[in-house]
Amino acid sequence: MPNKLARREFVKGSAVAAAAFLAQSKPARSSSGTEPAEASADTSYRTSWYPFTGHPHADSCWSLSVGPDGRIYAAACSEHMPGGVVKVVRYNEQTDALDYLFTLDEMVDDPHDSGRATQCKIHYSFVPSMSDGVLYMATHLSGPPIDQPAYSPWRSWHDEKRCFRGSALLAFDTKTDRVLWWDTLIPKEGCRCLLHDEERHLLYALSYPRDHFIIFDTRTRTRRDLGRIGSVNAQALFLDRRHRVWTTDDYGHLVRYDPEIDRLDRSPFVLPHDPEFQTGWHSVFYDVVAAPDGECVYAVTWIAAPRLMRIWPNEGDWPRVEDLGPVTQKRNPSIPKDTFVDHCGGLVFGGDRQLYYVASRWRDPVYNPMPADRPAREGVVWRLDPATLERTEVAVLKHPTDLAQYVSRGAVDRNGDLFFGNVGTKPVGIFKLHMPADRRIKNAHLPIRIWG
Amino acid sequence: MADDKEQKANPADAQLSVDDIVHGTFVKQGTMVAFPTCFPGASVPIRADESRITALSYSPNGMIYGGTSGRAAHLFVGMFHGVTGMILDRGVVEGADHCAAVCCVKDRFVACVNGPEGGRVVGAQYQDWPYDLIQEWGFWEKPIHELARLPQERILHAIASPDRTFIIGLTDRKLFTLNASSKELAVHGEVPGSGRIALGNKGGVFGLDGPGHLWRFDVAARKLERRAIALPAGEWADVPLTWARDEHTGLLYTADARGQLFSLDEDRGFSSPLGRTAISPVATMAVTHDGRLFGFCGNELANLFCYDPHTRSVADIGAAVSVLERRRYGYVFADAVTGRDGQIFFGENDDLGHLWIYFPSIAKRSA
Repeated sequence: MPNKLARREFVKGSAVAAAAFLAQSKPARSSSGTEPAEASADTSYRTSWYPFTGHPHADSCWSLSVGPDGRIYAAACSEHMPGGVVKVVRYNEQTDALDYLFTLDEMVDDPHDSGRATQCKIHYSFVPSMSDGVLYMATHLSGPPIDQPAYSPWRSWHDEKRCFRGSALLAFDTKTDRVLWWDTLIPKEGCRCLLHDEERHLLYALSYPRDHFIIFDTRTRTRRDLGRIGSVNAQALFLDRRHRVWTTDDYGHLVRYDPEIDRLDRSPFVLPHDPEFQTGWHSVFYDVVAAPDGECVYAVTWIAAPRLMRIWPNEGDWPRVEDLGPVTQKRNPSIPKDTFVDHCGGLVFGGDRQLYYVASRWRDPVYNPMPADRPAREGVVWRLDPATLERTEVAVLKHPTDLAQYVSRGAVDRNGDLFFGNVGTKPVGIFKLHMPADRRIKNAHLPIRIWG
Repeated sequence: MADDKEQKANPADAQLSVDDIVHGTFVKQGTMVAFPTCFPGASVPIRADESRITALSYSPNGMIYGGTSGRAAHLFVGMFHGVTGMILDRGVVEGADHCAAVCCVKDRFVACVNGPEGGRVVGAQYQDWPYDLIQEWGFWEKPIHELARLPQERILHAIASPDRTFIIGLTDRKLFTLNASSKELAVHGEVPGSGRIALGNKGGVFGLDGPGHLWRFDVAARKLERRAIALPAGEWADVPLTWARDEHTGLLYTADARGQLFSLDEDRGFSSPLGRTAISPVATMAVTHDGRLFGFCGNELANLFCYDPHTRSVADIGAAVSVLERRRYGYVFADAVTGRDGQIFFGENDDLGHLWIYFPSIAKRSA
């Protein structure tokens, strides 16, 4: 069974489809430090923009992933407009455009005008099933009922007319473009992030708002609730070779679910954070991507002044964690920076085995006085060489009418190009980063990412 | 979409602002502080799945004693007066996974715990005042001693006698007393164990006696009277009976399964309904010094409520949130005690449970 999955294999930690680019890696730096050095920009990358024109109410793209078919799927979310719903889209490489697959509320019998909080978004919750070509997806909450200006799950928890019905889990067959079945993954709550352990037929999720750790068996379609983690809600889960599931708690500790003991555990140490104005609080995972060999993951935190780190989950009782330093610019520490301005997301490995991510950059009169002809905020695509930790600016994401500093997720498709989900001002959509010919590797999405 | 469909739900909600919805959902009067089960900066909290706080008791010297449930049961002491500000984990009660009650008697604190082998009563010395917890400190482990076993029974609740010489406890089938000093255990009769018990204003202890009555245990005479008081009209079947006691008057408060509040005076009996909480059931409540009753109601995600006997009104105060010390939402609470200054301590019955301190609001003087 494992050999058939072609997923990102921590279990095997082995063969990777695209290996050619190791030869291009520069020599490793000395062990004196692990913070990335910067190289001059590489201008051989090109970007394209695909707005959600087929869903004009879309105001965010919280989920973008590669499907089991190697194509790019994205969530055109509508979380601010009362009655807004999410539509699932797919990038069509033949037409170089987006196909709108379905409107989610219609698929799960939870209409947008029900008076309840709506099926407005999919939040880091596309996960592939390689053995049968299914793409699982789970919905999240926040979209207000059709006649309310906002929705609070705390306020409406006991209100049958208003309360979110629950995170809907859909099994979408990418071979036939049909929703095979749907179920309620988490009653009354949204799914903040999702992971698929296909060998064990288990989906793992974090609920919102209660921040519970949920296990869903796709064979029996039964749910277990392992209890509460905290309040903040981490934005990512990952799996190690022992089928242990990892995330973080409110205070920047790793949280580990070990199926062998069926228990959540917390690391005794705090993940890397800014020593000047952070304590570790809110240093929860924002995005995590596995290295192609499956031996480590790269993670970035969900707090302004996000920190990049490399975690070796298969080593030791608790993993070795390397602090790769801040990924955004310096700023005035006396003012808490806007989370939507100071941000990093879209971690993805290209076929060249280099780590790509999008970090924001903004004009600051003291710390970054960018020229007036540049946008006030930019989403910068960086390439990080895992061997040397040298990082290189390769592109700036260009939104035709607005700023584009916030990227939620990134993915690589079967042709080796990268895609990034955009959160910002309407129209939102997705970016394509055309890889240079010598870095554009077929089937670069394999082994596939198994979490959203 | 909103712009092309008829609106269906309650139009009154449409008048709310975003700020009303987002912030007005949480505690609307007073302040809540979630305190972790540790000495912040000097120790780690009790492990998350062993820290569901299910029992609290207020000691004569102003410290808060408590017990947890989960994969293990811990006993702890919290101190918040003087140069303190900490919770000390007094240790695990081996073989226990549930703490039903903590009682402060004369010379020690006593906990009623449950485990696979049944109920047990354990006790330990009170905590001494530490030195200055800003400067330097020292703590020594003090053993937890077993006082009594109730094999094959589950202890549901217990309280201290008025003179703090013994405890009165309820199991799933009988009423007992235990002298913590002499370890003398006495059974006073069979009762249908359900819910919690409370001490009235004339020396009677009350507990649920089927769907229609309360039993009464006369503490002085050590005599149990079955079906002593008829319950008022309400929904009492399967109610997780809880109580609050006004320590100034001895008046008791309780609630039926629908959140209908009543008071109980041993001379006058039950009151007529005082009001009803917005959601139900009522999980726990306590009376502050001016007579206001505060408690949590609702399963899964509870709301704080207040009954003001002066205005005879019930107010929904909102969901619990702490933005001081720890930033945390509070969802499930199991026990409550009133502190020295009228603040109310709530035990959070959740993973990584905190001791929540609620400081009720003080009304402005009228002109």
